[in-house]
Amino acid sequence: MKTTLRNPYVYLLFVLPTIALYFLFFIYPMLTSVYYGFTNWNGLDTKDFVGFDNFVNAFKDADFRNSIVNNLYILLFSCCVQVPLIVVFSLLISSVKRFQGFYKTTVFMPSILSTSVIGILWGYIYDPDVGLINSILQAFGLEPIYFLADMKWALVSILITNAWQWMGFYIVLILAAILAIPKDIDEAAMIDGATGVQRAWYLTVPLIKPIINVVIMLSIAGALRVVDIVLVMTGGGPAGATDVMASYMVNKAIKYGDYGYGTALSIIIFAFALVLTALYQILIVRRQEKVEY
Amino acid sequence: MTATVRKSIPHMVMIAYIVVILAPFLFILFSSFKANNTEIATHPFGLPKKWVFENYKEAWVKAKINVYFFNSLYLALSSAVVGVLLAAATSFAITRMRFNRISSWVYQFVLIGMLIPGNVLFIAQYLLVQKLGILDTHWSLFLPYTAGALPFSVLLIAAFMRSIPHELEEAAVVDGMSVFRMFFQIVLPLTVPALVTVFIVNFLGNWNEYLLSFFFISKDALRTLPSGMVQFRDAFQTNYALVCTGIVFSVLPVLVMYTFLQRKIIEGLTAGSVKG
Repeated sequence: MKTTLRNPYVYLLFVLPTIALYFLFFIYPMLTSVYYGFTNWNGLDTKDFVGFDNFVNAFKDADFRNSIVNNLYILLFSCCVQVPLIVVFSLLISSVKRFQGFYKTTVFMPSILSTSVIGILWGYIYDPDVGLINSILQAFGLEPIYFLADMKWALVSILITNAWQWMGFYIVLILAAILAIPKDIDEAAMIDGATGVQRAWYLTVPLIKPIINVVIMLSIAGALRVVDIVLVMTGGGPAGATDVMASYMVNKAIKYGDYGYGTALSIIIFAFALVLTALYQILIVRRQEKVEY
Repeated sequence: MTATVRKSIPHMVMIAYIVVILAPFLFILFSSFKANNTEIATHPFGLPKKWVFENYKEAWVKAKINVYFFNSLYLALSSAVVGVLLAAATSFAITRMRFNRISSWVYQFVLIGMLIPGNVLFIAQYLLVQKLGILDTHWSLFLPYTAGALPFSVLLIAAFMRSIPHELEEAAVVDGMSVFRMFFQIVLPLTVPALVTVFIVNFLGNWNEYLLSFFFISKDALRTLPSGMVQFRDAFQTNYALVCTGIVFSVLPVLVMYTFLQRKIIEGLTAGSVKG
């Protein structure tokens, strides 16, 4: 009876295009990345197998080490500054009835826009001559700041733009979790005389810990994936002050044709992402579960 | 502290945040109508003294924003549609057809893709499209965009198709319906909510994609908005009003879409991150 749903040719017809395309643009590049990563290929000469040289050189490369440090700054900023702010804003939105939907949709909005266009947009906000921030500074009689050209300010400027774009996304994630908590828990605490702040800190935050962990994991992954905004706003400059691993990799490969070295860097980025998320899982998430039970 | 004051604190904080979100857009919007740079610099917040609409015409035609716009539109649409159809066909095969062992392998295999961050594959994909001879054509974007959306699309559509009761297609089989008609006339219409979500997520992702479109395409006539805008900014660096107009052009369609489909968009984008 069910021969219709057992026709192998139809099955192949439905599955094969997806598998083929997926293999060609995901699996095959992944495999070739690993292969190229162990060669000194520069696009012109022959590919020579060089063992772990690229990986060793990467960690000897002061510019790449500098970009790792910048990635770490981004990571620390998103986990230690953004995440607490995100939790506070979500609690605030969840505590109001009026305008809740409006707040939610507005804070989410920047995360649906193109990172490159946001980079251009904020480039104007930071502009020393006509920019919004410098106009304000000048109104107070202050000297203009060259945000994107100043070693001290460039990375901070990018961090702020990045936070501006993505915080709303995470706020909506956490807000959904808060609104899913049954109302009676909160009401019971209210009857017992707990203040709003107490209820938020002792009730809501412990209950949404799992989703906060998800947000931290996504922030770690996101911090390692930052690249568009850097390429658009500063190109990694001034003097590498905003270079991140991915932007350094793209420049090495496209500008200098160092494909072998570049792919080795991309494997290092992948390894960082895996190791950091795994570490976070093992050290924080597992231990918390033990405490809860 | 009175109750009303205490109640309004969350609103005050949130309004401050909303202002930080919206101020850049207003600044860009007002600037795009201003006559010249001095007006932008001296009245950053003010409305334009005279609304200059010529910027829009100039950006659209002379600065080729229209070219970028339609390239973006047709690439984002076509690869989102093809991606949804491919993912739907595959999801149908692995959730409804009777090849359980192979299906679970196929499913696992496709989901591995969600673990790989996009920019890790950048160089290898660049070399791949170069080898395929499609560098600097729209194929070099269409294929990676379509492929890149598959893991998430299969995940979401397959989950949705699993929830459709099996009696439905049993009845169809008994009635002698062919697999294709079953797919197109029964399962696909029932899956529309998931298909729409996936389509929107893919469309937005493609519309906004920068890295590949900037480095895989060097012909100006083939550029999409995100990469074309960067090119445009570098070319018209000093004409702030014109670049602001360009920004309005690239942001507006997404914002219009967002006002109508906000719930669907938020649901789709957040589903992708949490389930992944």
